[in-house]
Amino acid sequence: MIDIAGILMENILYVVLITLGGVLISWSVHFVPVGGAPAAMAQATGIGTGTVQLAAGAGLTGLVTAGAMMQITNNAGLILASGAAGAMIMMAVTMIVGTWVYVYGVGCPPASAKVKYDPITKDRQDLYVSQGTEGHGLPTVSYVSGVIGGALGGIGGSLIYYSLMSIENGLALPDLVGMASVFAVGIFFVNAVIPSYNIGGTIEGFHDPKFKRFPKAVLASFVATFFCALLGVLAIGGL
Amino acid sequence: MSAGGSGAAAEAIPQNKIIAFGVAGGLIGIYAAYFLVDIVGSYMSFIGALGAICGMVWGAASVRRVASYGLGTGVPSIGMLALGMGVLAATFGLAVGGVAGPVIALIAAAIIGLMVGVLANKVLKMGIPIMEISMTEIATAGTITIIGLAIAMTGTFDFPVILSQVISTGYIAVIFIAGGLAILHPFNACLGPDETQDRTLICGLEKGAIAMIVAGIVASINEGASGALTILIGLAIWYVAFAGYYDRVKRDAYIVVGTGLLPSKEELE
Repeated sequence: MIDIAGILMENILYVVLITLGGVLISWSVHFVPVGGAPAAMAQATGIGTGTVQLAAGAGLTGLVTAGAMMQITNNAGLILASGAAGAMIMMAVTMIVGTWVYVYGVGCPPASAKVKYDPITKDRQDLYVSQGTEGHGLPTVSYVSGVIGGALGGIGGSLIYYSLMSIENGLALPDLVGMASVFAVGIFFVNAVIPSYNIGGTIEGFHDPKFKRFPKAVLASFVATFFCALLGVLAIGGL
Repeated sequence: MSAGGSGAAAEAIPQNKIIAFGVAGGLIGIYAAYFLVDIVGSYMSFIGALGAICGMVWGAASVRRVASYGLGTGVPSIGMLALGMGVLAATFGLAVGGVAGPVIALIAAAIIGLMVGVLANKVLKMGIPIMEISMTEIATAGTITIIGLAIAMTGTFDFPVILSQVISTGYIAVIFIAGGLAILHPFNACLGPDETQDRTLICGLEKGAIAMIVAGIVASINEGASGALTILIGLAIWYVAFAGYYDRVKRDAYIVVGTGLLPSKEELE
């Protein structure tokens, strides 16, 4: 058996950082405009898929870019920045292509039904919302909110990956990369699902009334990720 | 009733029996594969996949039970959660446990699952009465799936072998998706007013057989495991399960209950 207390004491900083990363992911999910099936039929704002898929997409892209950056430097700031940039690009591209489909394919103007005036552009929204829908497309505020969500998710994902890669152990590099990736993906999925249960379907971004619920999800993610971080640090540190 | 609405799903087989089937079948499969590969030969590695199938059918039954209350996020999210928790617990258990690894992994999975279930009900206020027990079941079933398929691929659960032949090579992603699909897909495919337990579960068995075939293909390039028998048995199970699923679809589909026209205003008064 392994020296549990010793490994935990040595790597307590990484346990804290992994937990922080999980909390960031959980928070980031609330920024991403998710419309689910209604949005796919242009009956709600946001991207036409579920929270988990979007969070996983943004997080895993952040993980890949952070991993690429780790090949050339150990500077935590650069790694987090590249993770954030990767996830932001992924979210932005997804949202802009979605907007093209809504505008040129479906033929509806991006408009939010949750607010009368767009908080960023101050444009009137309610005139453009089709009857019987909850808005459609990705209005400016949702787009900006999604990019912020991508940044937070990317920072969270790369923080987890960086922490797992930094734990002291006797593994060869390819094995360590494999272990760290598997754990990071596992923690990412747990933290993508918990906030999606909190949101329960669709959310437009930080101006959506549901956004105010985020402290509950962040608290739940904090507890769950802390335990996952203990498992990860013990498993990798014990090898 | 169980239409992805709100309320408990009707069960022909009680969940307790499925839990026993999943845990016992999964552990027997995992340990039998581990020891028989040592004693008899590498071609016994297929038993690990049979254990994984027990886990997958159990997971599908638990997803069916909890998702019939209506999660508000779509059924697939819970499958991803199962494999997310499962992969953490499985890697942890095998890394620290030695021969007791799978048991430690199951205990770790049960603790994570219970915790997520309690958080979902107490903090997120989801209000699903069976959330705690279902999350525990789903995490444990995900862990059995991952360990079982990993053994079918490598013939052992010794961590250095799993690490170099399953995790570092990336086959863990195949397990993640194929195993996750077997857990999340059956209820997602069958849900609706005419959903029945046996049809959903046999769909899970069919998806499990596909995961077994994939594990067999991976095993064919590993020394410790033999792929041929795994693929053949997987194909046989797939054929039986698919035929059974098709029969049940036909059985459930042609019964159309006429509700009549909407009542007129006079009739309502």
